[in-house]
Amino acid sequence: MTLPLTLSVAAILFALGVFGALTRRNAIGVLMSIELMANAVNINLVAFAHYTNGVAGQTFALFAMALTVVEVAVALAIVVLLYRTRRDIQIDLASEMQR
Amino acid sequence: MNAVQLALVAVLLPVAVALFLLVAAPVRRAGWPAAALSLAGAIGSLIASVWLLWRQTVLPEQALLEEVRWLPEAGSSAATIGVLVDGVSASMLVVVALVATCVQVFSVGYMAHEPKRDFGRYFTWHSLFLFSMQGLVLAPNLLQLFVCWELVGLCSYLLIGFYWQKGSAGKAAVKAFWVTKLADTGLLLGLIVQYAATGSFGWGPETVSTLQAAGAALPAVGLLYFLAVMGKSAQFPLHVWLPDAMEGPTPVSALLHAATMVAAGVYLIVRAYPIFAASEAVMTAFGVVGGFTAVFAACVAVVQTDIKKVLAYSTCSQLGYMVAALGTGSFMAGYLHLTTHAFFKALLFLAAGSAIHAVHSNELKDMGGLARRMPVTGAAFVIGCLALAGVPLLSGFYSKDMVLESLLHAAQEHPVFWFPLVTCTVSAGITAYYMGKAAVLAFFGRASSHAEHAHESGPSMALPLIVLALPAVGAGWMTGVMANLWGVPDVHFAVVHFTPIGIVATTLALGGLAVAWIKHAQGGLGGLDAAFAPLGALARSGIVDRAWDTAWRRGVLVASAGLAWFDRYVVDGLMNFTGVGFLEAGTVVRRMQTGRASDYLWAISLGILLLAVYSQARMWVG
Repeated sequence: MTLPLTLSVAAILFALGVFGALTRRNAIGVLMSIELMANAVNINLVAFAHYTNGVAGQTFALFAMALTVVEVAVALAIVVLLYRTRRDIQIDLASEMQR
Repeated sequence: MNAVQLALVAVLLPVAVALFLLVAAPVRRAGWPAAALSLAGAIGSLIASVWLLWRQTVLPEQALLEEVRWLPEAGSSAATIGVLVDGVSASMLVVVALVATCVQVFSVGYMAHEPKRDFGRYFTWHSLFLFSMQGLVLAPNLLQLFVCWELVGLCSYLLIGFYWQKGSAGKAAVKAFWVTKLADTGLLLGLIVQYAATGSFGWGPETVSTLQAAGAALPAVGLLYFLAVMGKSAQFPLHVWLPDAMEGPTPVSALLHAATMVAAGVYLIVRAYPIFAASEAVMTAFGVVGGFTAVFAACVAVVQTDIKKVLAYSTCSQLGYMVAALGTGSFMAGYLHLTTHAFFKALLFLAAGSAIHAVHSNELKDMGGLARRMPVTGAAFVIGCLALAGVPLLSGFYSKDMVLESLLHAAQEHPVFWFPLVTCTVSAGITAYYMGKAAVLAFFGRASSHAEHAHESGPSMALPLIVLALPAVGAGWMTGVMANLWGVPDVHFAVVHFTPIGIVATTLALGGLAVAWIKHAQGGLGGLDAAFAPLGALARSGIVDRAWDTAWRRGVLVASAGLAWFDRYVVDGLMNFTGVGFLEAGTVVRRMQTGRASDYLWAISLGILLLAVYSQARMWVG
């Protein structure tokens, strides 16, 4: 596999993630899209590491996965709280930041 | 003690008393202790002043100047504050302290029925006034003089408005304050012009020559100072506050509005004489304004029915004499008249106060026949009246004669001085008539119902009358001594001497007194009433007051309304427009903040996209 091909896959994955994050109304959907973007970044890291024969990129990818897990845990907690207070997880309904 | 220490005692003793009474409210409200303290301060000031005058008379020292820096400036100071002791200030110190002491002693009796706290307040203001006036007299430069000038104005306001519960007294106080304040603007502006031109607040020869070199600055400064003098010394048309100032207690009128404070304007001319004398225009203005005021006020005094108003207009008239005399360049004549006038006018006011105290009315028609019931008061009033009329051998005769003589000399050189010469000579007759009329109506003839049970005032009121009567009679005999003291050379003085103009004035004065006696004591000369009718109508119409009122309504109010419009719609308008503009813009921009996370995400994404496009475009272009 050539580097440009790998990077293209990552770019498409990232674009899909952005599209999902912007268009989904469901909080879980938005969360999943963000995961897609994170994984596109991970692919980039691994691809560049392979291309340059280094290990730093792969190590960063591992760290990034661990951080993503933590992030998902926090995000899911927020979603649960949102559901408890509103009986709904449509994110458009949450506009408290306006005030 | 040396001369400077004596001067400091004379000026600082009253202020110590005044400050103590201002702070120590219980002592002030107790009344009698406050009066005792104030009197002690005044007597101390009098003793120091007399001692100082004695030193200056027997030891003909040069002027002594003691100054400390004030308003520090880089390296030096912009102004100094201190005392200037010479013959001129020493004699004025004694005049002020003597009249103030007499008035305070008189007030103890006159004000005895006031509530205690008002009694204490009265004496507190008196102490403050004495300090301010002594500070003004001793001022070594015009800036200190200006500060004290405003302080005496403040005391005048406070004392005119002493019976503030009476609406008219409050109004009179405010009127006096504003009219003099309007005039004082001249002094302030003059000081600014003078300092800008010379860098000095003094009146020394180098200051005057610098001013002279500056061209128009000299007459401008002189005329601006003269505006302040017209306000303070009640010259036409700024005299309107003085008759109203009679709302104050009578002793206050005697001290402030007859003897000392109103003379402060004339004293300013005397003190800063080099500045005025260097400009012909200013001296001519003195002659014309002083001459007109002398005859105008004398005519108005003729038709007054209130004894205090008669004396008030008489004061205006006599101040006109002083100003006119100073316009001729005769420093001696103007200053001598100031000195003698202070004594006999204070005496007249105190005697009038004693009569008012007995009959509880200011109106001449409520008096009558008081001389028999109040011999001391009657004698004092008659002495003051004769001195003011200029009867030979009394003090007023010498000073008035000197004023007229100086005017005659000036008229021979400058034709314009014929005007003050004629008006002042004629006024001598009018003065004698209205004073004779007041004396006859109040103290002779048949007693009115008010006056039937009048009796002589107590010793605290009678004693000051006797003390003041002495200089009112004899001050003129000291003319030679005073000329030496003030450093005026070539004054030929003899107790009995008659100049041609003096004979004319004396004849007119005696004629005026005779007419007053015939008309008001004998009931003759009924035709005079018809002659005075238009004058009375003129005086009652208050034409000068109305002119000021119109000027205020048409000028000040309209200009103020214009300025208010400009302020409201242009200055405020700009501010409000800016404020409202930002508020509206904020309301528009605020809508962008929806508070929904996904909207912000859109914005972030678009932003990143734009940044990416921009950087790529630069790469391609570059």
